[in-house]
Amino acid sequence: MAEKAGQVTTGMKIAIAVISLILATGYFTFLDWGAMKIQGLDYFYLFRK
Amino acid sequence: MATITKQARKKIWAFLALGTFVGLLFLPLFLSLPAGAGDTPAPAASTDAKPVEKSRDVWYKTEGPVIGAPAPKTTDSAKDYPRYNFESRVILWVALQQHLYYGSFVLAVPIFCMIVEYLGVITKDKALSRKYDQLAYDFVKISLTAYSITALLGGIVIFTFLTLYPTFFGYLSSIFRPVMATYALLFIAESGTLYIYYYAWERMREGFLKWIHVAMSVILNVIGTVLMMLANSWIAFMQSPAGVDADGRYLGNVWHVIHTTLWNPINVHRLLGNMAFGGGVVAAYAAYRFLTAKSDEERAHYDWMGYVAMFIGICFLIPLPFAGYWLMREVYAYRQQMGITLMGGLLAWLFIIQAVMIGALFLTANYYLWQGMDRMPGAERFQKYIKYMVFVLIMCFIVWLTPHTMVMTPAELKAMGGQQHPVLGNYGVMSAKNGAINTIITTTVLSFIIYQRANKIPTVKWAPYGNAFLFGLFTMAYVNIIWLAIYGYYIPANVRVGLSVPQVASTLSCLFIGVILNSIMLKGAKDVGPIVWGKISVRGQYALIMLATSFTWMMGLMGYIRSSVRLFWHVNEIMRDNSPWAFTHTIGFGANMISFNVLFFWLTILFVFWLGALGVRKAPATAPVGQKVPAPAGSR
Repeated sequence: MAEKAGQVTTGMKIAIAVISLILATGYFTFLDWGAMKIQGLDYFYLFRK
Repeated sequence: MATITKQARKKIWAFLALGTFVGLLFLPLFLSLPAGAGDTPAPAASTDAKPVEKSRDVWYKTEGPVIGAPAPKTTDSAKDYPRYNFESRVILWVALQQHLYYGSFVLAVPIFCMIVEYLGVITKDKALSRKYDQLAYDFVKISLTAYSITALLGGIVIFTFLTLYPTFFGYLSSIFRPVMATYALLFIAESGTLYIYYYAWERMREGFLKWIHVAMSVILNVIGTVLMMLANSWIAFMQSPAGVDADGRYLGNVWHVIHTTLWNPINVHRLLGNMAFGGGVVAAYAAYRFLTAKSDEERAHYDWMGYVAMFIGICFLIPLPFAGYWLMREVYAYRQQMGITLMGGLLAWLFIIQAVMIGALFLTANYYLWQGMDRMPGAERFQKYIKYMVFVLIMCFIVWLTPHTMVMTPAELKAMGGQQHPVLGNYGVMSAKNGAINTIITTTVLSFIIYQRANKIPTVKWAPYGNAFLFGLFTMAYVNIIWLAIYGYYIPANVRVGLSVPQVASTLSCLFIGVILNSIMLKGAKDVGPIVWGKISVRGQYALIMLATSFTWMMGLMGYIRSSVRLFWHVNEIMRDNSPWAFTHTIGFGANMISFNVLFFWLTILFVFWLGALGVRKAPATAPVGQKVPAPAGSR
């Protein structure tokens, strides 16, 4: 790999960005579910109907 | 006998002073304690003693002994409503609003002062410490004159009540007698603490005495906050009474009377609002001094002061819509009809005006941050993103102020095909509005993060990962907020109303995680160049004045809305307002009154500023242009 110390290639940047998007998606889904749950509501109401 | 050194004597006096303040703080509690058993008269031995009448609390539904008289049934007469051939309500409106403006200001400024003075104490750099200390001193000096005016206006409010609404005021003070007595005592404690705090500044500038001085500011602010909460209990009682029965008779539990269902939401909302307002007024003062400054040193100092005040104000502005949402939710829970009158009925158009004001506030705050980037070398890297943020903010602003229904003539109604516009009507509901305001706040947070790193390049090894994480966090937060807004259209109202909580949580995630992560990344970052304080366009300073004016106008508006929702009641469902002015004014009249109050306040506060400027030291702790001066939250 043509990667030098302290530098990140474009491909690597894309990979990190995709991973962070996946992590953030998981985080926000959990947040939505949890925030509804503590109110006694069902976040997946539409999908369970 | 050992000789007491001068320093030790100072310490003893400081401890004594602090002990006195704490004692004064607790004095009202001791005074309000029930009398001891020895003081209680023995029950009468006779058998013909009247049984104690009991009744049920209108809110808590508990039983209690009837202690007070029923709420008076007033008539439109000179006995209940004396008058001066002028609308009494308008006179009271002006007096109360002015008192509230000044009260908010003198509550908020000492809190700023406490924060800044504390920063000065913990800062190891002596030069920075002195600058913070000078700034805190400048803050409290401004509030001192305002404090006297607040007290004066408080007196005017009482006299106005006594002369124009004697029956109602008599009833209210019969219910709140112990609270009002406590309020008066606390006010004395507050005055004493404030004056000692100010005048002892020089003597308590160094060492341990400085800590005592900081402790005094904490006490000052505790008293101020309790005072505000006590005053809030009166208006909360008028809107959602408790502690009395259906006839308005006091049932002996003062805590029930204070702790009504809307008390805490009002406390939180007012505290945050006062802080944002105070920040705005101090920032406007700094902007005024910046615009009239004669030298670069002065400009640098007041630019920095304006930034710090604006920063603190915005910190409290961001959670303000959430507190407002909580308050409205509690209003709906208390009386659904009251909520509908506010947001979907008689007063709904005032809420549209409020939406415009909130949108303008956030736009102005963002604009100030972008203007502030002028003083930071390296900020030009981020200029290209501003146009996209402007686009997002404007689009959300438009959705945010879209009304649900319009007031129309029959012909217009027919032309549109109903009360709601077939397309735009979809944006007039809470689902869309919650999405819009959360997007606006998230964008403001993003603006701040960009501002933080405008003149910096992160040098930590994990910077690419940190940047990627920030990118993922903000992108998905936007997606999530908009997804929840759209999702709300497809589910029933009882589930939909809960979606506001994850939306708020998404915004707060960006605020806390984003700002904290960014600050950590910027530790030891490479400086492109120092912040050149004073190098900001005058437009930025006018933005600060605009912020302060918007806060003032919005406070007047929201106060009017909250008060008007009682309609023809002095105390909701307990004591009817039978004066000739128990009607809701037109929006135009209300807006003119609010504008008058705003103008009046700003004219008088200019006088306060002028007085403050008279006593300014000739050589303030200033930073020459280009020199590094302290700034909060990693914005140095």
